[in-house]
Amino acid sequence: MDLPKADLLQMYKKMVTIREFEESLAEAVAGGTLPGFVHLGVGQEAVMVGVAAPLRPTDWISGTHREHGMMIARGADMGPMRAEIFGKATGYCKGKGGSMHLAVYEKCAPGCNGILGPNQTINNGIALALKRRGKGDIAVVLFGDGASHRGEFHEALNLASIWKLPAMAICVNNQYGISGCVDDVCAVEDISARAAGYGMPGLTVDGCDVMAVYEAVSETAKSIRAGKGPALLELKTSRWRGHFEGDPQSYRPPQEMEETRRRDPIARFAKQLLDQGMAKEAELQKLRDEAKRELQAAIEFTDKSGYPPEEEIYTDLVYAEGRSVR
Amino acid sequence: MRPVGIIANPASGKDIRRLVAFGSVFDNHEKVNIVRRVLLGLDSMGVQDVRIMPDFFGIGPRALDDLDLSLKVSYLDIPLEGTQEDSTRAAKALSDLGAACIVTLGGDGTNRAVAKACGEVPLLPISTGTNNVFPFMVEGTLAGIAAGVAALDSSSPRSFIDRAPRLEIRRGSELVDIALVDVVVSNPGFIASRAVWDVSTIHEIFLTRAEPGTIGFSSVGANVCALPANSGKGVHITIGDGGQKVKAPIAPGLIRWVSVASYRVFEPAEPIPVSYTPSVIALDGERELIVSKGDRLTIHLAPKGPRVVDIARALRQASELCLFLQPQA
Repeated sequence: MDLPKADLLQMYKKMVTIREFEESLAEAVAGGTLPGFVHLGVGQEAVMVGVAAPLRPTDWISGTHREHGMMIARGADMGPMRAEIFGKATGYCKGKGGSMHLAVYEKCAPGCNGILGPNQTINNGIALALKRRGKGDIAVVLFGDGASHRGEFHEALNLASIWKLPAMAICVNNQYGISGCVDDVCAVEDISARAAGYGMPGLTVDGCDVMAVYEAVSETAKSIRAGKGPALLELKTSRWRGHFEGDPQSYRPPQEMEETRRRDPIARFAKQLLDQGMAKEAELQKLRDEAKRELQAAIEFTDKSGYPPEEEIYTDLVYAEGRSVR
Repeated sequence: MRPVGIIANPASGKDIRRLVAFGSVFDNHEKVNIVRRVLLGLDSMGVQDVRIMPDFFGIGPRALDDLDLSLKVSYLDIPLEGTQEDSTRAAKALSDLGAACIVTLGGDGTNRAVAKACGEVPLLPISTGTNNVFPFMVEGTLAGIAAGVAALDSSSPRSFIDRAPRLEIRRGSELVDIALVDVVVSNPGFIASRAVWDVSTIHEIFLTRAEPGTIGFSSVGANVCALPANSGKGVHITIGDGGQKVKAPIAPGLIRWVSVASYRVFEPAEPIPVSYTPSVIALDGERELIVSKGDRLTIHLAPKGPRVVDIARALRQASELCLFLQPQA
């Protein structure tokens, strides 16, 4: 796992950028400028970046409604990202997908999915297409611990296994499915243990350690590209904010939140870089400043953008093109 | 009768070698079953007091569910982090309690964590890890019975307890860490997923034992210079060209040719400097230490490692003492 310094610093910057982006959305919700449901991945930056970094640009990746950060990790531009979440016409989906259905096809990211579970079966379709193309690309899907209790999870793993699809299923175990603690609703300690039931390797990784995630995803991708079939990874991480913005999280003990913040993946990675002499504090500060500037530009881009015109309300819809839906 | 401890590592047998090699998955439900069998074995030998390390999965409580036992089980009062520190803290607590024996469930890494703090309390290590050189592949019932034999208040000499050596990593006079089987020096980098499996990244290996029939990096030593566990000597191997290529099973299903530039047997009084820096040092199979350029670490073979119960000999001695025969009326 010899990564050049430039790559490591880029990973750090992306983690910081994701944190800034998500926290700016929290402020917008609190300030009343962003209506609707928004689910933030603050605290899960090591997952986003550690998963995206070792993948090829031609690999496909999809997630749930908490994966805005994954798009940024894939290299999506924060301007159209934010514009999309605010429903602006300059957004990646012309403001019609919003936070819950944000898709960036140019980055092979077919989207966040507001319904949790089905994206795993959709991912099998993508993986089948990639297998038929035969270029060695893989399909990666992220979902939460809550979704791993749904039928689609089991159906998708079974089908992926018997068809030996180039699919990587990644369970982002942030310990809570909405308000349900995983300890109360899950029969196994490690969701990755469920892989054995479908004849594929399963592995649990510290999802707050970006390099551990990077190494696991890199090795898993190598195995899948070699034609060895799908795999299940479980990345144990923490959700810093509520299930949605506005969720008071009364179901979480305060000391748990303290412990969660103690495992801050960004601070941890910064410490690793500094301790190993791979970066100096001034370099990291420069990257943090750059991230803030880029976010500011994205905010201004969004603010200047207009909403889609009324006459386009029925265009660009999957089932509406060329026919009346009224 | 003194208490018997059980330290079952819920994280053992699950690392990345399930992916990069062909390691078995040791599900925690199986660990629960093993602990059940250990408890039944202990109970059959009249052990009355068992102390179990708590963990977030609840191996202990799950093992006790619906189990009919005469012995009393309680949980060690230690703070839990979900890290290997839990095992070290549990070992310290059991040492302070004067436990007769600690049954461990894990691999080499788990036993290393326990050996840091178990003092003179003998270990009875059951293998539930990946590369298992230190622990025994043994049925839990027999392990429980053997632990019960070790716990008996007996005037007979304990000829079934051996002393294992350990490797000490020192910076000057400071003890930095220990290993029970191997110390592997590899390329600089991150701790990340901890395991070591890419032989092209390795520069040096230090071993307490090099027995044929073992897996992991001790197998490299075994195939150039066999050395039993209790020889009182260690092996230092330098990896590189110019010597022999050695076929070695370094992980389950992962058999590699390893280029051994040189090797030599060393004695306890002979500290050997880590010559490759910067680097990452793996202890008993897990990347643990990041070594900076110029950091002066030395490896020492220390004969006084943990005491270990030899299960077969313990059972044989118990049999010779007629402990398994019902007393005549």
